[in-house]
Order: sequence, then structure tokens, then C-alpha cells
Amino acid sequence: MKKIIYIVCFLGLFTTCEDVIDVDLNTTEPKLVIEASINYFKNTLGNNQTVKLTLSAPFFDDAIPPATGATVQISDPFGNIFNFIETDNTGIYLTDTFIPVIGETYQLEITYNSELYTATETLTSVVPIDYVEQNNEGGFSGEDIELKAYYTDPIGIENYYFFEFISDIPVVPTLNVYDDTFTDGNEIFGFYTEEDLESGDVVTIRNYGSSSQFYDFMFILLQQGSDSSGGPFETQPATIRGNCINTTNPDNFPYGYFRLSEVDELVYTVE
Amino acid sequence: MLIFLLSPFFLQSQEKFTLSGTVTDQLSNETLIGVNIIIPELQTGTITNEYGFYSITLPEGSYEIQISYLGYKTISETLILKEAITKNYKLEEAAESLDEVVITDDIERLDIKKPQMSVNSLSIKTIKNMPVVLGEVDVIKSITLLPGVTNAGEGSSGFNVRGGAADQNLILLDEATIFNSSHLFGFFSVFNPDAIKDIKLYKGGIPSKYGGRISSVLDIYQKEGNSKSFHMNGGIGLISSRLLAEGPIKKDKGSFLIGGRSSYAHLFLPLFDLDNVAYFYDVNTKLSYNINENNNIYLSGYFGRDVFKFSDTFENTFGNSVVNFRWNHLFSDKLFSNLSLIYSDYYYGLQLSFVGFDWDSSIKNFNLKYDFKHYINNNFKLEYGLNSMYYKFNPGDIKPINDNSGINPYKLIDKYAFENAVYIDAEHKISDKLSVSYGARLSMFHRLGQDELNVYENDNPLIFNETFGIYEKADPIGTETFSKSDVIESFANLEPRLAIAYQLNDKSSVKASYNRMSQYLHLLSNTSSPTPLDVWSPSGKYIKPQLLDQVAIGYFRTFNNNAYSLEVESFYKTIKNRIDYIDGADLIANDAIEQVILNGEGRAYGLEVLLKKNKGKFTGWLAYTLSKSEQRTQGRTAIETGINNGEWYNTPYDKTHDISLTGSYELNKKWSFSSNLIFQTGQPTTFPNGQYQYNDIIIPNYEARNSSRLPSYHRLDVAVNYNPNPESTKNFKGEWVFGIYNIYNRKNAASISFSENRNTGNNEATRLAIFGIVPSFSYNFKF
Repeated sequence: MKKIIYIVCFLGLFTTCEDVIDVDLNTTEPKLVIEASINYFKNTLGNNQTVKLTLSAPFFDDAIPPATGATVQISDPFGNIFNFIETDNTGIYLTDTFIPVIGETYQLEITYNSELYTATETLTSVVPIDYVEQNNEGGFSGEDIELKAYYTDPIGIENYYFFEFISDIPVVPTLNVYDDTFTDGNEIFGFYTEEDLESGDVVTIRNYGSSSQFYDFMFILLQQGSDSSGGPFETQPATIRGNCINTTNPDNFPYGYFRLSEVDELVYTVE
Repeated sequence: MLIFLLSPFFLQSQEKFTLSGTVTDQLSNETLIGVNIIIPELQTGTITNEYGFYSITLPEGSYEIQISYLGYKTISETLILKEAITKNYKLEEAAESLDEVVITDDIERLDIKKPQMSVNSLSIKTIKNMPVVLGEVDVIKSITLLPGVTNAGEGSSGFNVRGGAADQNLILLDEATIFNSSHLFGFFSVFNPDAIKDIKLYKGGIPSKYGGRISSVLDIYQKEGNSKSFHMNGGIGLISSRLLAEGPIKKDKGSFLIGGRSSYAHLFLPLFDLDNVAYFYDVNTKLSYNINENNNIYLSGYFGRDVFKFSDTFENTFGNSVVNFRWNHLFSDKLFSNLSLIYSDYYYGLQLSFVGFDWDSSIKNFNLKYDFKHYINNNFKLEYGLNSMYYKFNPGDIKPINDNSGINPYKLIDKYAFENAVYIDAEHKISDKLSVSYGARLSMFHRLGQDELNVYENDNPLIFNETFGIYEKADPIGTETFSKSDVIESFANLEPRLAIAYQLNDKSSVKASYNRMSQYLHLLSNTSSPTPLDVWSPSGKYIKPQLLDQVAIGYFRTFNNNAYSLEVESFYKTIKNRIDYIDGADLIANDAIEQVILNGEGRAYGLEVLLKKNKGKFTGWLAYTLSKSEQRTQGRTAIETGINNGEWYNTPYDKTHDISLTGSYELNKKWSFSSNLIFQTGQPTTFPNGQYQYNDIIIPNYEARNSSRLPSYHRLDVAVNYNPNPESTKNFKGEWVFGIYNIYNRKNAASISFSENRNTGNNEATRLAIFGIVPSFSYNFKF
């Protein structure tokens, strides 16, 4: 929506304005948020893994409360059970014994407040980032720095990608998901532009292998998490369901996702 | 029923003769629509049709005939009728101000007698006098000031009638269907006011002549052009300028009209070193030729485009093109016919250079209409005809821009359809007090063969996942291929239409109407307001036609010798098969829409009040609408949740209260003033009821669909018209219009978005207000 308003603003005569206002919002009971992201970086063992549990909060609250005191475990099809131990009531649960195997299916079990949450997902492989191309005349103004992180899509199979761009300047990371409907078998790129990016800044680029279910989840999540939601050209927002369920009390379903990805990371210094 | 139908034929005893002809403007030969032809002695009369033709049959005798039309001097003359007479009238424009126009009582009385209700006409003169944003006269913005008409906010495309969606309006320009009525994503409409003669909006009791859209009909006729002498007029405004030329091809016989309009603000952008371009233009053309008394032909065209371009990375072009040939033929002085052959095309193109992506989509439409108006006698008039349309939908053709592009060519499957209808409507005056019109339209829709059609297990393209409580796409188990002459799916609907008027006394009447309508085309859009990118899709195996039933009742009266009129109407309507989209449905370049939609229903009801002051130095109206518009999509089985848990929810254009006060005051011949005051309940919207963090970003969690509302919308606009030389006898006439939109600078929220501030990390609610106070001026001229 914003983009369209900006487009129209180019007529130069509109008095469009944006301001921050106070709005009274409804609130609901907090729900468990599961961020069980198993990242198997290429050329590592992948033994150290983290599961982060938080709670949802009223929209204008400053702090996100951690979900502490849960038991967290992941099991693989070979009978291994990996227990995740919480560090100091932070809601962050760690293990150093995880064994990642690409293409295998894992099961997550979390007990929190006497309710059992479960999820099942497959560890998905990813192709490497081949190279990065920098363009200094990009963006809306024609003066922003743009990065394209190229990769080659494997032909003939459906692939899904989750890209993360983390820069060392203080901004929220940029997340993107891509499918290969129009790009099957081609060399294609993950796209990043950040207004304040300058020469010498360091950008960490990660390409995560994703399942089709994660792609769908993230696609909607990003649509609603972006700052453009709510306008006349935006889709209807909705509650986003991941792949975790509450088996004790299905109505109290959790947010978040149990993802297992092979990851390729490239650290790029802006030229 | 048969006897009822035939009864008017048996009631004749005295010998009768027909008076018929055309009414035109004396100076330009422009035909005039809706002119009153009144025989006061018999308390009867008729009005001219869309082509200026009238026909009235009277017993032999001598009568006084009055021909009157708003803004023109009334002609009154005595005619001796002892044989059929063809009589063409030329009306002289009342050069002076409106208050000098003599309008007899009979006009309004005729109006309250007619069974047609829920219809609003606006003269182009009225529209041009209203204050408007940036001084751009706009047909669609004007009709939103009428009761029962609204839109999904400033800067949104289209309009909504009686709680209906924007894609449910049939918009006709010289009988041709216009698929997208907006320029600049809805800031302006595609109709050049200088080229327009007459607009009429049907909100209910829709005659069976019209079909294919279920909420309303906006019927717009272009001027024919002056067949006496060459004239030009135009205007210079802040956003766009207009120029229109008209004149005779052959004096009194044939005329041409060509009008163009273009925005030009973008021309100054290079001065600011900006590579970005945003502009629109449109061209209206018309050739008219009067072959003889009984035959007229018209060739008209419309072409419009919007272009957006950003520094070579993004280019977007869209617009309508229409070509239309019409032939008016009089079979007799009682039987008028019009044959229309129409080709229309809506094009949308998008180029994203940075991803090497080129996208084209279009709808092509061939349309044949043959309409008859049969003036059987004074108490009985028939309209009948047929309509045949062929559609070709190109939902998208994706191509790589060059060899380096990472995009593979991809063609979304073309779709074809054939829509046919026959109709008949009778307008029957049963007694002095009671008039009815009744009729029906039989519409048939054939979805024709296409290259590939997905086949699903149990014909179910959308699976409910009970574990997660969500809908998921089903994978097709195969495809079927058809030839283009195959019929994949057929629908037929009988659409009865009925309207009754009962006159209580000279000044007041009550009316009631019922109509059923069907709509076979669907605009696929899950945004609050349509965007040019939205693709139309025909009904077929997985999408059923929308069906509407509407009842309306109304009370109409005039006061104070027609100085004032009051219309009160109430309506209730239900819509079947309104498609709705599952959460997170992605419609862009989606070749399997059936995997993301469910069949739902809609309903709307309301009360509309329109109080008008029609005469004097001060004219204007107060329109108030109290209404509710909702939709619901329940699960197909007991386990399924449906959409929004199967609960009714507000449509994005549901506005409980909608008040507009529009007035204009003519101080003297030089100065006139006008003003709008608008108040509306805030639009429904969806707010977050919480937040959570995932992957270091904040995700707002949203409540049920449209369960909150934006703050109330209100604003006041004023405009001043200044005519420096009203007495000038020179040919050249100029006029200034100064306006201020939203004079008290109310920051009306077009949207409120919720997000994390990228710099501070705090969550914020950001209001977007599109138009604050906007001053404007424009200069209009004619010679």
C-alpha cells in the first residue's frame, strides 16, 4: 500500500501524511511461541542447537516474556533423543548432542504448563550461495545499495528458500522466502536493500533449505509482519498456524514453527 | 398472467395515433435524454430514451404538448392529431441561471408515477459544480455522495452500492462494459467529464435489460458531438488537463467528437532529477451520422492508460480500450431498436527489470446487443432484446526480459467463455394510481474448453487439515484437455424483475421492487479494495455464479411545488456463491485459484434517505444511509471451520452511518459557491490483539476479520466558481474554479498499520492519511 501511495505522491501535489497514533486494542490470553529452528550450517557438525520459547503479549508491550520451565526434546528416526536444557530461566533451551541428517524426519516434544506440544518436520537441504552482486544505484531513490545473493536452483524438483540478511548496522534483519515456480533450474538471487547501508558494512547472508509447509507459513508471516499491512491493497490478515500442535488442548494452539534446515552462510563486506 | 399481459390490447376503442420523434439541443443537435413530453389535458406523458427518441400514442384530437427539460426553455404547443405524426423538437438552452428555468409540476409527478425506483441520475452540470479533490471533476467520486453508494476509502478503486462489492457494478460507457473504472489506483475515474452527456445509477429494481453484475448498473452515455458548428472546450487543472473538439462532418447530419485528457505533473519530475514517472491519459471519440429519419449510426471509442515507471526497475501499464458501433433503427413510430457491436479490452502489464520479469494479462470481450423499445400504447410499453458476449481471459503471460533473466517463460492457461441472455420487460400502467413493470432475463453462461484443467480427487481442490485447523491446497491428480468448442460447464438462470408504484396523491407515491440477478465473472481479489492487478475469472467447474435477490420498498414525495423532494428507501439483499479466500491465499500468478477459495454468502440491508432541494438559488441534497453489509463462509462439513470460523463478518465497505450534505448557491451570474460535508462511520478493519517474536522479528497477531473499525471519517469541502464575463457576447467563455478539499485538515485514516519501528524497536500504530487540506484551482473554457 505504502508503495502505491508513494507512487501517487510522485504527482508531487498530494498531502499524504503518516503519523504514529494511539489505538486501543483488544487483548487475548498469551500463547506459547515455539521457535525451534535447527540450523545445520554447511561444513559444521551441527551438534549445538537452540530452541527458543516465548509467550505472546499485548501488542504495545515492550518486553516479550520468555516461556520458562518447559521440557524440550527432539527425537530422530534412529531412536536418539536430544534433550534441550534451559539456561537460567531465559526460555532458551540448548543441546550439544544433536545429530543432523539431511532428509530425515524429526519429532519435537515440548511440555509446558502441563500441556504437550508436538511437531514433525524434515531436515531440508539447500544449494550454496554462489556469489554476491552489488548495485549502488538501487532502491526507490536510485541511490540505495542493493545486494543480490545468487544461487542455482536444482532443476526438475520443487525447491523453497528462506533467506536472511543480517547487517551490522542497527536494523531488523531482512527475511525473504522464495519458491521456484518461475525460476526452476535457473541461476537466481535473494534480494536485499537497506536504506542506510554503506561501504564497509558487513552483511551476513544465510540461505536456509525449506519445506513447502515452512514456505507457506513464512510467506504469510512476512506479509503480516511487514510494516505495510492494513491498507486497502493488503490482504486480509489472519492468525498464522505453523506446524506445531497442542495435543492436550488443541484450541490453545501455539504460534511459531519447528524448522530443520541445512544452511549456507556467506559474510559479505559492502564495497 | 397472459390476460394481464394482453389486456392493454383489448382496451382500445377510439382510434389512436402515434406522435413520435427526437428531441435535440437547438445549438448542437445533441440528442437529449430524459426529456419530458407531457400532455397536461390527459395527465399523461413520456420521456425520451437514451437516444433522444420518444413515442406516445393518443386518441384523435387536439392537444397541448409540453416539452421540458432541466436547463432548457420549455416548449408548449398545440397539435392536432388525426394521423401519425413525426415531430422532432429542438430545445433552447436557458442561457440564464437555473432559477429561470420553468419546470412544470408534471415532470416530478411522472417520476413518482413510474415504477422504477432506486435510481439516481446526475447531470454532468451538477457533477461539475461539486467541490472535488485537486479540482478534478470525477463521476465516480460524485456518485458516492448519493445514498447507498460508498467506497472502501480515499484512494481506493471503484465504488460500492448497497453493501455490494466493487466488482458487482456493471459500468457501461455507451453500452460497452468497462472493467476497471479507475486511474492512478482509484484516485481518479476513467471518465472524462467533458465527453459525458448523462449518467444513471441503478441500485435496485434493475430493469431486465441489464445483467451480468449483481449490485448496480452505472449507465454512462457520451455526447454525440455538435453537428451544427465546430466547438472546443477544455480545462487546465493541477493534475490533468482536458481538451475536447466537436463539430459537423456534414451539417445537421453527421458529427464528430474527440476528447483527450492527460495528467502532466510527471513532466516536471526531470527538473527534480527523478527518473520516476506516473501519469495517465485517455481519449474519447465518437462519430455520429443521421442517415435518415429512421436510421442513425454511431461509432465510438475509448482508450485509456495509466503508466508508472521507476528508475528502470519497475514499469506498470494498464487500461481499457473500447470500440463500439451502434445502429438505431425505427421499425415503426412505435418500435425503436438499437444494435450494438462492441469490442472491449482490459490490459494489464508489469515489468520488473531487477528480476527480469515481464507480465501481461488481459480480458478481451466481444459483445452483441440488440435492444428493442416497443411503445405499444400509452399504458403499455415493452422492452426486449438479446445480448451475446464472448470472453477471452489471459490471466497472465510471464516472460523473461532478456537472456540474463532468471525467469522461465510461463503461461497461465487462457480461459474462454460465452454468455448469452434474452430479456423482456413490460411497463404497464394499470390505473391512474397503479403502475407496474415486470419482466425477466434468462441468462446462460458457457465455460468453454481450455488447454488444461486440473482434476482433483473427489473434485475437491481444497483440503481441510483437521490437525492444524487450516485449509490446504490439494494436489491435482491430473489434467483434462478440451477443445475451444467444448463446453466444460453451463449455467442458466432465470432472473425475474418486478416493480410496483402506487400513487397516493399528486405529490407522493409508494414503490416496491424485487430483482434477481446473476453474475458469472468474479474479480479475484483478497485485498480490501480492488487493485489493477486483480484478475477476472469466469465461473466454471469450481466457481459458481453469484446470485442476488433484492427487495426494496420506498416512499417518494415532493413538497412545495417541487422545490423539494424526499425519497426514502429500504432494501434487503442476499448473495449466494460469493467467493472468499482462505487465510494467506496468494492470488498473484496463481493458475489454480480453486485451491484457495471457498463459496460463501453475503447479505446487506439498509435505509436510505435523500432530501433534495431542486429549485432556487440554493440547490443541493442531504443523503443519509444506515446500513449493514456482511459476508460469511461456513465450512463444507461439520468438521471444517470455514473462513473466520464460519461467522458473519463485516465487508470492508460496511459503513453503518453515511451522511453527505451537498449544496450549491448561486450568488449572481459571476459567482457561485458549493460545498460538501461528509460523515461516515469508520471502515471495518482488522487490528492485532497481540504480538509475538519469531526469528527476531515482531509478528502482530490479528483478531477475527474486520472486527474493529478505523476512526470516523469526516470532512468539509468548498468550491467557488467565478465567471468573469457572464454577459460576454464573444464566443470564447472562460471560468475559474477554486476549491479547498478537507478544509479543516482532518487526518482521516485510510489505514492504520501495526509494526515494529525499525530504528527504535518499539511497536507502533501508524496512521496513513491520504488527503489533508488540499487547495486547488482549475480553468475551464469553451469556444
